[in-house]
Amino acid sequence: MMTNLFSIFDPASPNSLSANWCSSLLFVLLMPGAQWVASTRYSGLFKQLSDYLFSEFRPIVKKASFVLLISVSLLLLIMFNNVAGLLPYIFTATAHLSFSLCFGLAAWSGLMLYGWSFNTQALLVHLIPQGTPAALMPFMVVIESISNIIRPGTLAVRLSANMIAGHLLLSLLSSSFSFSPLMAVPILAIAELALISLECAVAFIQSYVFSVLLTLYMAEFSD
Amino acid sequence: MLSRLAARSIRLAHTSSSASQAAASATPATTNEERNEVDFPRTKRPIHPAPVRMGFIPETWFELLYSKTGVTGPYVLGTGLITYLVSKEIYVIEHEFYSGVIMAMMAAYGIKKFGPTVAATLDDQLAKEKEEMLSGRNNTIKALTEGIAASELSAEQAKGQSLLFQAKRDNIGLQLEAAYRQRLQSVYAEVKKRLDYQLEKSNVEKRFEQRHMVDWIVQNVRQSITPAQEAASLKQCITDLKALAARA
Repeated sequence: MMTNLFSIFDPASPNSLSANWCSSLLFVLLMPGAQWVASTRYSGLFKQLSDYLFSEFRPIVKKASFVLLISVSLLLLIMFNNVAGLLPYIFTATAHLSFSLCFGLAAWSGLMLYGWSFNTQALLVHLIPQGTPAALMPFMVVIESISNIIRPGTLAVRLSANMIAGHLLLSLLSSSFSFSPLMAVPILAIAELALISLECAVAFIQSYVFSVLLTLYMAEFSD
Repeated sequence: MLSRLAARSIRLAHTSSSASQAAASATPATTNEERNEVDFPRTKRPIHPAPVRMGFIPETWFELLYSKTGVTGPYVLGTGLITYLVSKEIYVIEHEFYSGVIMAMMAAYGIKKFGPTVAATLDDQLAKEKEEMLSGRNNTIKALTEGIAASELSAEQAKGQSLLFQAKRDNIGLQLEAAYRQRLQSVYAEVKKRLDYQLEKSNVEKRFEQRHMVDWIVQNVRQSITPAQEAASLKQCITDLKALAARA
């Protein structure tokens, strides 16, 4: 029984012994091992997935291909965390701002520091999109710089808010099973099925969006 | 001084590694002495995962309990454990349980529906990879087998060459024989021709002599016949004829 609705997001572990936060390390168990030279079905599947992801991200970065490693590994980490959080009794680390801000803020601030120190001209040019009329230029600078500054916030909050919303709906619907009559169970089950499918899709999409945006920012800074 | 120390430590490490290598190579070459293959056998790569019951419970757990509790043992254990946990509220049935149940149903449906096709696709991919990995070895084997077949074929053909030569030799022999017989025949014909000539010549001479003798005899006889003899013989002939006519 939940004490309050948001107790599902409570880490429920003392600060010194972060047991619940260890769920973010679950992806280590999901990585295929390579004891033998010949690949297994799972490692073949994983290889297909990572090849596909690399091919998807490659057109975004044309020059600095080394950032692909960061993008794809970040995507896989966030995806594993999101999907694992859907399963019962597994803590959703990505639902917490403290988790997503770590990625967003760290990446963005690093890029900002690097970009403004070495590519100042290019970044200033980026503040005004192509084809703006001359009268709108001052406002565009303000708007673009504000959107630049809130980027880490948007990245982190987009991910956490989506996860929180999904999990909240799921727990509300699931807890109604205990209080509903037996006849309503099939309808509730169908609704829950739909919701879980939606949450799976959202888990994949949110991870993809996070990493694609970060890759775009990196590409923007390297151009 | 520190650099000399570093160099000396590196040299020591090198000599120790080479000594260990020498020691390892000094051990016998047979693998039996290096590793007990009976008690510690080398692992084989498993192709299929271990069998499971109900999708996730390993079969070995059932086999473990079989000797003590029979076939229904593990099921009774599972049911009892679940009943104990639920009835004593050690495991509380709450919202996570219901969503877990629905997720388990989704997972079971997904695996049953898409499992075989995905497995078949992945197996094709793995077979291709394995073929690629073994392609060098297999291509070499194939090339060498074909080479062996080709050399055997050429050996057979060489044997055939000797047969060909033998046939040619026989042919020549036959031709020689034919020529010899033809010459023999011509020799015979020539000799016969000469002998026939000689024979004809003697025949012709004999015939001349005979004719000449007959002519000489006849001539002499004709000369020796007197007119009186002629008349007497004519008379005799007439009387014989009359006699014959009277009889007829």
